[in-house]
Amino acid sequence: MEHLTSPKLTPGVHCLSLRHKGMYVTSMPYPEESQFYDSYDATAYWCVETQRGFGPDGASVRPDCCTGERDCCKH
Amino acid sequence: MIYGKIVRSPYPHAKVVSIDLSAAEKAPGVKATLAYMKAGDEVHYQGDPVAAVAADTEERARDAARLIRVRYEALPQVSSEAQGMQLIGPRWSTTQPNTRAGQRAETGDLDAGFKQAAHIVEQTYSTHIITHVCLETHGAVCEWDGDKLTAWVSTQGVHQCAQGYAQALGIPQTNVRVITQYMGGGFGSKFAPDSQGIICAKLAKAAGVPVKLMLDRKEEHLDTGNRPSAFAKIKAGVSSDGKLTAFDGTSWGTGGAGASSGFPLPYLYQFPNRKRVHTDVYINAGQQRAMRAPGHPQGCFLTEILMDELADRVKMDPVEFRIKNAPPLAPNAQWVKYFAEGAKRFGWDKRHATGDPTPGPIKTGMGVSAHLWGGAGRGSTAHVDIMSDGSVVVKCGTQDLGTGTRTLVAIVAAETFGLPVSGVKPEIGDTLYPFSGGSGGSTTAASVTPAIRVTSLNALDALFAKVAPTLGVTPDQLAAEGGRIFVKGNSSKGLSWKDACKLIGTEPISVDGKWEDGLSSSGTSGVQFAEVEVDIETGIVRIKRILAMQDCGLIVDKLTAESQAYGGVVAAINFALFEDRILDRVTGQMVNPNMEWYLLAGMSDIPKIDIVLNNMPERGVIGIGEPPTVSTASAIANAVRNATGATIRSLPLHPHKVLAAIEQERAGGTN
Amino acid sequence: MKAFAYVNPTSEKEAVAALKTDGIAMVIGGGQDLLSRMKDYIDSPDRVVNVKGLDATVTATSDGGVKIGSAVKIVDLAEHAAVMSLYPSVAAAAIEVGTPQIRNQGTVGGNINQRPRCWYFRNEEFVCYKKGGSRCFAVNGENQYHAIFGNDGPSHIVHPSSLAVPFVAYGAKFRVLGPNGEREIAAADYFTMPTLANVLKENVLDDEDILTHVILPAPGNVKHGHYEVRYKQSHDWPLAFTTVVLVMNGVNGTSGANGTSGSTIRSARVVLGAVAPVPWRSRPAEDALAGKALNEATAALAGEAAISEAKPMSGNAYKIQIAKTAVKRAVMRAAGIKTV
Repeated sequence: MEHLTSPKLTPGVHCLSLRHKGMYVTSMPYPEESQFYDSYDATAYWCVETQRGFGPDGASVRPDCCTGERDCCKH
Repeated sequence: MIYGKIVRSPYPHAKVVSIDLSAAEKAPGVKATLAYMKAGDEVHYQGDPVAAVAADTEERARDAARLIRVRYEALPQVSSEAQGMQLIGPRWSTTQPNTRAGQRAETGDLDAGFKQAAHIVEQTYSTHIITHVCLETHGAVCEWDGDKLTAWVSTQGVHQCAQGYAQALGIPQTNVRVITQYMGGGFGSKFAPDSQGIICAKLAKAAGVPVKLMLDRKEEHLDTGNRPSAFAKIKAGVSSDGKLTAFDGTSWGTGGAGASSGFPLPYLYQFPNRKRVHTDVYINAGQQRAMRAPGHPQGCFLTEILMDELADRVKMDPVEFRIKNAPPLAPNAQWVKYFAEGAKRFGWDKRHATGDPTPGPIKTGMGVSAHLWGGAGRGSTAHVDIMSDGSVVVKCGTQDLGTGTRTLVAIVAAETFGLPVSGVKPEIGDTLYPFSGGSGGSTTAASVTPAIRVTSLNALDALFAKVAPTLGVTPDQLAAEGGRIFVKGNSSKGLSWKDACKLIGTEPISVDGKWEDGLSSSGTSGVQFAEVEVDIETGIVRIKRILAMQDCGLIVDKLTAESQAYGGVVAAINFALFEDRILDRVTGQMVNPNMEWYLLAGMSDIPKIDIVLNNMPERGVIGIGEPPTVSTASAIANAVRNATGATIRSLPLHPHKVLAAIEQERAGGTN
Repeated sequence: MKAFAYVNPTSEKEAVAALKTDGIAMVIGGGQDLLSRMKDYIDSPDRVVNVKGLDATVTATSDGGVKIGSAVKIVDLAEHAAVMSLYPSVAAAAIEVGTPQIRNQGTVGGNINQRPRCWYFRNEEFVCYKKGGSRCFAVNGENQYHAIFGNDGPSHIVHPSSLAVPFVAYGAKFRVLGPNGEREIAAADYFTMPTLANVLKENVLDDEDILTHVILPAPGNVKHGHYEVRYKQSHDWPLAFTTVVLVMNGVNGTSGANGTSGSTIRSARVVLGAVAPVPWRSRPAEDALAGKALNEATAALAGEAAISEAKPMSGNAYKIQIAKTAVKRAVMRAAGIKTV
């Protein structure tokens, strides 16, 4: 579901362990979605290594924090 | 098999000082213990897992878990959105801020839009937090054979769970088999093994025997996800002829401990000039997870209550007002049609203006609301074997989370082969079967059924190739229907399915196939109507009728499609009236982690529900799991407004809010 | 759940004897309350004494009333012919309890003696007065379902029994058997307002006492009304409910002493449930009804009078309106006036 509701994750930037539902659901983008509302992020994220919303370092798992600056990040 | 039990933090925010497993290790029947956290770790919500134990009975595991001595240093906690947004006060984390700027979007010219407005409504709207309340709780049975793991998991994604187990446990994914034959509800909360799944596997490894670890209802409320709250201060304008002109929204909400809370706003209706700024607030409570149309019920409610307020300003009927401001009619945008048709079916012409004028304490009212969803799938793969005895097995690594996926697999294959449904054995819910996506986003039907169709056609082609020489025709001249293979245009020239399959020989027809474009598409629309009775002397709302107008492309199976709509409406009745995760404002602990005070509708609370499905075969298959749950609550709230003349701008519609709104309306209204 | 000994006495005396122990002994009826508390580690008795085998019959008494064994199932009470005709508000309260499963399993004694449903009491995390702690979490916390009457503390629970309310209204007596023999206590005196000394329990039963019978006196020339307000219609605890028992002037429509018709109220019992730590008898409502004609205006006056004593907490003032409505509608029902 890599459309308005969940930002695309960028290899090399985001940690390889970052997960959200959209990555596990084989959906198709809904091309007309932007006609009905603006982009938003309702997504729940988790770390595939810890299997919860906190990374191995105990901090939050989200695209804005699961980037290269964190020690636990895998690329 | 033995039983696992997790020890969880009773505190919403604390530092772990020490974990002592020794007493639990010595307890009767205990076979394994583990510390999930370590001294110094921070717990961020009540229910955060800290340690675990496995024992020979469930009761002994529970008793032993209480012997694990965890010392905590309690930290101040954030228990509400309002508290989290205060500049001074408790912090949800010792290292991370309480809020984060979320999305910001701006279109058109807001000032110009408000200048065009003849009327402006300025109000704050909100929805509350509810949990998924899967009747089958989260959990697994894990069994090791050397370094190979078999896990029976209550999950919406067997292949996805296998990846989770492999990466969390550091074993090859090829060593993991996940099985989910049947499951009792996920609603978006069951895509991964989660902490309990990994703890279960680790306990099983340590004990050397299979471990069953299913969460109890309290754990389920605390640590398996929820629908985030949503708040918005909205200023919106409407022109004298009833066209929306401007929308200025400042929104916030919480997805719990460090999780997002976004939702679409404004929803569906066309505001040419609009601005929206969102802030995520973090509090010390369990994290959100995807929940049946993530974001949509919230955005829908916030927008739809506003819509009725705006309609009243321009003295327009809510249906007419919505038609005027709905996106134009298109295959994936049927609202204009559903508003008109639904109004007719529902008897909307009998609706009175805001505020039931009839005497007596019981006031009736009607409300309407609309929603949309995507629901397009892709990517499923499948395998079909046809044996020489005529038996057929269809294998697909999807899973049935209670929606009827297994039924769809059988129906599509059987129809392709011209067999009764009982003539096909559908095999799903196992990572031994070909890859399919997780069952979320209403994508399963649109992913799986094309794959089954394509694979079945491949198998049928192979069968036709075997049968054609016997019938003295080419394979493309054959058809399969009514349990026979026959020559097109000459149905007497053919063989029964059983006799045809005898020609297969000792090597079965065994073919693969995958989802192809053209059999499914994206975009569904729905409109719902509600009629309620409100007792204005008690604040009790009773729902009398719901009408759901809904499309989902080609209806593969009417029974299961309607069942999704019924389930969605019932869930939304709970959202509107009953469910509420209530945290104690002082301690931050949940006061109703059960099904006694976490209220769920019973039979007497469910009204007559009429489902009208619009079959659109030309669009192919589209999912229906999520959309029917989006707009029900808004329609109910608008019906309550219509009945009482009082506007309730937050959910749930608890009697205290209903009575307060009526009181406020009597005192002169909000503006 | 802590391991416990199970005792299955065959007589009331054996049951009482079985309660004598150095540890903690508790009585089990239908078990729906006790087992939940045990599973949630709210209570961990060493011994559980089964009283389901005690008197489970409803029998007529010599003075025209009935005697109800405490082991009578709630469903049997609700459907008992004599109860339905003589004490319709008892039957009405019984049929509103829980769900069919709960009514089939639950007993009269268990309904009367169940512990509070307060969410602070029922969750282990909150060590409140009723669990030996030193505070009532409802005071500064989530009190939307707590008391609006009798709120002097220290505890602010509402009494959970649906049957207790009509029993008090009909002037029932509770028969209790203890180590020193049998005693009868007026239902109104059986339930205790919380004090620091007795906050761990909700009634006068001592550790080795069992409730054996509820004895209802002959109702006399009365009109009855029962009204319950629930948030959910299925399986929910009431927000407020009321039983009114009105003693009427005159007999069977003959003129009363003061020359008015038979529908004048001589005296009234008005008891509210789910609003106070005990079944709450409303003297102001009773006074408002005495001497009045039984009609809708009188019903409204009784509702207003009933709430004059209300003292809500921070989040439950809305229950005052609901209690007022329950009283009004119970009186209307007694008058045979359609409510809603």
